Amino acid sequence: MSEKKRETPLLDELEKGPWPSFVKELKKEAARPMVQDLLGQLERSYEEKVGHWKHGGLVGVMGYGGGVIGRYSDLGEEFPACAEFHTMRINQPAGWFYTSTALRTIADIWDRHGSGVTNMHGSTGDIILLGTKTQELEPTFAELTEHGFDLGGSGSDMRTPSACVGPARCEWACYDTLGAVYDFTMQFQDELHRPAFPYKYKLKFAGCPNDCVASVARSDMSFIGTWRDEIQVDQEQVKAYAASGAIDVQKDVCDRCPTRCMSWDGKTLAIDDVNCVKCMHCINAMPRALAPGNDRGAAILIGAKAPIVGGALLSSVFVPFIKMEPPYEEIKELIGRIWDIWSEHGKNRERVGEFIQRIGLGNFLEQIGLDPVPEMIVAPRANPYIFYQDDVFAQPGEEA
Amino acid sequence: MSSAPRKTDIGPPHFEQFLPPVIKKNYGKWKGHEIIKPGVMVHVAASGDKLFTVRAATPRLLSIATLRLFADLADKYSGGHLRFTSRNNVEFLLSDPANVDPLIAELAREGYGVGGIGPAISNIVHTQGWVHCHSAASDASGVVKSVMDELYPYFAGTRTLPGKLRVAFACCLNMCGAVHCSDIAILGVHTHPPKINDKDVPKMCEIPSVVASCPTGAVRPATVDGASSVEVIQEQCMYCGNCFTVCPAMKMADAERDGISIWVGGKVSNARSEPKFSKLAVPFLPNNPPRWPEVVAAVSNLVTVYAAHARKFERMGEWIERIGWPQFFKLTGIPFTKYHIDDFRHAGETFRRSTHVRQSKEAET
Amino acid sequence: MSAVTVDQVAEAMFQLVKETHGKKSLKATDLTKAMAEKFGSECTKDVCKLAIRQLMDSGRCIYSYFGGSYITLPPETP
Repeated sequence: MSEKKRETPLLDELEKGPWPSFVKELKKEAARPMVQDLLGQLERSYEEKVGHWKHGGLVGVMGYGGGVIGRYSDLGEEFPACAEFHTMRINQPAGWFYTSTALRTIADIWDRHGSGVTNMHGSTGDIILLGTKTQELEPTFAELTEHGFDLGGSGSDMRTPSACVGPARCEWACYDTLGAVYDFTMQFQDELHRPAFPYKYKLKFAGCPNDCVASVARSDMSFIGTWRDEIQVDQEQVKAYAASGAIDVQKDVCDRCPTRCMSWDGKTLAIDDVNCVKCMHCINAMPRALAPGNDRGAAILIGAKAPIVGGALLSSVFVPFIKMEPPYEEIKELIGRIWDIWSEHGKNRERVGEFIQRIGLGNFLEQIGLDPVPEMIVAPRANPYIFYQDDVFAQPGEEA
Repeated sequence: MSSAPRKTDIGPPHFEQFLPPVIKKNYGKWKGHEIIKPGVMVHVAASGDKLFTVRAATPRLLSIATLRLFADLADKYSGGHLRFTSRNNVEFLLSDPANVDPLIAELAREGYGVGGIGPAISNIVHTQGWVHCHSAASDASGVVKSVMDELYPYFAGTRTLPGKLRVAFACCLNMCGAVHCSDIAILGVHTHPPKINDKDVPKMCEIPSVVASCPTGAVRPATVDGASSVEVIQEQCMYCGNCFTVCPAMKMADAERDGISIWVGGKVSNARSEPKFSKLAVPFLPNNPPRWPEVVAAVSNLVTVYAAHARKFERMGEWIERIGWPQFFKLTGIPFTKYHIDDFRHAGETFRRSTHVRQSKEAET
Repeated sequence: MSAVTVDQVAEAMFQLVKETHGKKSLKATDLTKAMAEKFGSECTKDVCKLAIRQLMDSGRCIYSYFGGSYITLPPETP
């Protein structure tokens, strides 16, 4: 029954054109009944304009509460080979670096146990092994761990942390994003695999304010590289850019600086570094001439999320600057305090950003023992509805 | 199960074992980089060593046959070393510049073109859609394929842009792709309240959790035919599907009324201006598989107008802020409707609270 | 020194999951709070964490997901 080849005239349209085709990818594995039925069900979705997957919540590997997404077809009788089609999330190597051997290892395991279809990678960063049966989950897991791979997160746990390419290939990396993501991932294995939070908690490590891992939009805690001292300038190279005509130093660089802290007299680029907000524009525009300073670290921002439940949030400044050096004890303690308070008082499906909105950032800071600093806000409050506490009567320097 | 002790909590493999020798040697000591041609860049280390990166498109959904193909190409051209990017491109990491062109030729033969570096359109970050998701309001891969076929010249570098243009796709408001800060965000939307299966609600769902899940308080406990279930206050529902996530008996999918919305002007980078959310451009377009021509045309129009009017380095959102939203709607020809005006929490912050309006004679008519 | 053992806490958690099965789904935090009430402050979060791990590793309980991760009985348990 499921041996038969499914006709897919609508999907076949998507084999045409210059962009690589996901339909061609599926057809490369079409000898497998599971993929044949997947193609059949997908063609049905294209005909009917509606999806045919049910969510199912009871599958996983023993002992873990994350890493497997249960999925069942609602057309299981018609497409039996993909009636069960669970996803496994595999914790990616930091920076998504592979050797050909590692890539073949993953391919071989999935050849033996799954659909042969993957995502490289999922939105959070994991290797996604797309589609297998319940009975294959444990054997796949055993083979993965045998070869040094482990599952990533799902559900109300710390999700698989991810990082930009960092110092492996980027001159702007202000700290070791790969070293940091590996260290934090190893430190919090229990939180990654055994969901114990109100909802998900994502960590993302970006080496500079260009934020190539979108941490400010997508992570509950964003570690964005930055620096405290002066931008490094090679004046000869600035002149070379100007001479080449590729860059108009006044128009393309100085005039586009958000704080207008640069000036150019045709010979020397002067920077008022006190007023530089480390936006990266000038460095992006003239990479051979300019570089971040030497006193490097990261800003920690907190609370980003997509719309569900209470609306989308960008993360906001929490620690304006911290040195990012192993073993990161201070940061780990801070994370522990955040998790304690949020786990204790957060509602089901309430992300930490929403939790902070509900209880107030000021109260949250007090609870975890961080001092408020003006870098955390765009402007002080404009509304006079202040909840005063007795500490306002304390004199300067006096304990309240 | 095997008799060997069960391994757990080993974490990911350490990345260092996968780094090419040139990276191990120059880790943290890169001096600068240059885009040599579309899809190819060279990084130069303080030591003088060079690393050549060739970036190729992928559809994100990859067969293991393709993983093996990439592994073979890496063995042949880049000492077995490759990586993937945060936008689902594959990158081959070469030490020998003589291998660049043969690799590009072979990738092209296999259907994986190179590009997407610098002021270009890179791969579309996207979600699962009908391929694997239970709450999708549209397919993801099909829309992405259709849009990228059209925008391909901007990826391959045969057409250029003033600045970076990041396109993202999510198939429902859960936004697994967190598309809400993209230059152009394509978002699948439900437009109708859930259909409640009263028979299944008591079996599959915990009623207090379903009630609590609704951000607008539209879900209430109800008794239907003597059994406990829930009801949805229709006019209070904005179709987010959060109730469906906690209760499968609240089905959202609707073949005729699901569709696609388009949002513009978001960014995550701090370069020049602060990160910003994408804002609504097109409230609704129909699902029209297999090629979604309405969506492709709308995205293509946005790219063309942006390319013609933005200044060097200017992102979509920066360009719109400079010229103003009225001019954006005029230039793109997109009708402005009541749906563009926010009416959720803090909506007033998006109202114009000044007389800073670019007046024109045309506005009178 | 903690007077309450991981075994005791695991057993108490298991009973609670059994009692509420089909009526109310419990999350890890719900169990931890309930145990703190039952055993007092000696029942730390770390003890609860180990107890949950014991329940999972022994297969007496499993995780489920419906918009959040819950701790429940495996399907075949009557």
